[in-house]
Amino acid sequence: MVGMSSVLKAAGLTKRYGKHLALTDCDLDVPAGRVTGLVGPNGAGKSTLLQLACGLIEPTAGALEVLGNRPGATAAHLARVGFVAQDTPVYSSLTVEEHLRLGARLNPRWDAALARRRVERSGLRPGQKAGRLSGGQRAQLALTLAVAKRPELLIFDEPAAALDPLARDAFLRDLVESVTELGASAVLSSHLLGDVERVCDHLVVLAGGRVRVAGDVDTLVTGADSLESLVLAYLKEAVR
Amino acid sequence: MIWLSWRQFRAQALVAAFALILLAGCLVVLGRQIRGGDYSGAELREQFQGRVYLLDAVLLLTPALIGLFWGAPLAARELETGTHRLVWNQSITRRRWLTVKLLLTGLAAVITGALVSALLTWAAGPLDRFTGDRFSTIFFGTRNLAPVAYGVFALVLGAVAGLLIRRTVPAMAVTLVVLVMTQALIPNVIRPHLMAPERLSVPITAEVVRNLSFLGQHPEISGLKMPGAWVINTSELRTADGSRVSDDTYGVCVAGSLDKAPDCLAALNLHVDVDYQPVSRYWTFQWLESVLYLSLALLLAAVGLWRIQGAAH
Repeated sequence: MVGMSSVLKAAGLTKRYGKHLALTDCDLDVPAGRVTGLVGPNGAGKSTLLQLACGLIEPTAGALEVLGNRPGATAAHLARVGFVAQDTPVYSSLTVEEHLRLGARLNPRWDAALARRRVERSGLRPGQKAGRLSGGQRAQLALTLAVAKRPELLIFDEPAAALDPLARDAFLRDLVESVTELGASAVLSSHLLGDVERVCDHLVVLAGGRVRVAGDVDTLVTGADSLESLVLAYLKEAVR
Repeated sequence: MIWLSWRQFRAQALVAAFALILLAGCLVVLGRQIRGGDYSGAELREQFQGRVYLLDAVLLLTPALIGLFWGAPLAARELETGTHRLVWNQSITRRRWLTVKLLLTGLAAVITGALVSALLTWAAGPLDRFTGDRFSTIFFGTRNLAPVAYGVFALVLGAVAGLLIRRTVPAMAVTLVVLVMTQALIPNVIRPHLMAPERLSVPITAEVVRNLSFLGQHPEISGLKMPGAWVINTSELRTADGSRVSDDTYGVCVAGSLDKAPDCLAALNLHVDVDYQPVSRYWTFQWLESVLYLSLALLLAAVGLWRIQGAAH
């Protein structure tokens, strides 16, 4: 997006659950117009950071701006961010068609044509109950809901983690296509480095609730054997 | 949002509508039977009291059912299944989401409560006029306005419990416990003092003594009735100057044969001071109690709207 330098800006961001510190004093600046991969081991704080970014939870300390505003504070801001949560929740008793209706009713910028096109291409039957969809189909439905509201930023929390290799491949392809079609920025978390290497051009490594490194993939990989060895090196350093 | 709220509520609404039709049928049949014969008051009581009590029980249960099956799952089920992460990321704030859901379900609770209460008030009318016991816990809470307010309160209570506890079944349990507690506490502790009671000095005549339920060792009586009014407190037996009659004087009268006690006590020229709510205050009390419950519901809704921002984890 012209004139917008960053989609996500954190300063001293901290999130505490009881005694457990999920994120500690994170400073982060995620540039616009990129597909950013958020990688790190389980429990690194990836989900926490993404849920903070879409306003689902609130920080314990520090500041976080998404698209220049406090996340999730107003309906107008919610309209600008699409979020696909971990395990891609959908309403099991509602049909695919009813999910599209839900999206149309709750989002002012809803793109019905885009939604219908995506549903048809993913082979989802409109009358089918969402509770009977396979994991891959459910992820496609959740992606459709997030994309058809035409957000400026799409956030994905481990979207493909539970999918088999074929479904994951199709899902990631659709994800990249959708982001390109919308001209949106995207942030996605994953512990699968292969996925990240395939779709992301910007990288944030998170471990133990802290940001270990952040930068463009091209720049980071220069001088390293591969993205994988680079990330592993940072993660091993974090463990020490 | 109205569409989604309705779509999610539809199944519960259909079950409730089915139950309502059955209940309304029973009430209409009862109302017609009560009016069918030319019954005297005693005959009405003999023939219909049992069935009216049963329907009173159903009406007392209705708010609990609303709280448990409409209120408790309203937010808790979303939090349990994770769908809150879907719906709270549409272009609608959580406060608005909760407000619309509460308003739609609340409207259904009002309609349900009003319908069953109106039908029972009508059906049991002839019997109630004979019994004249309008302030007692069961009658007061199952006629006219009060049941509507109970239903709204139970709904919001269940919804907010579900939002804070985040699990449906524990939220149901908490809702039930709180409802039982309020229904025990308010009629006995709060309702008598919604307005300052009137005080009346009632002379102890032989007739009064014969109608008492209990005469003890000490000069205290219970079971004094005033037609239609709600007796809240009865003083000890007092002499003309307002002091308590001595145990000895009283003891002489009740020590001998019980047949002689009424005349003996009447001869002492005693009285009791009775605190009571007159029958003319019935509607004031109905309104006051409804406003009390609706205010509690509003307060709970405010807590829910305030806490929903932190409810996602």
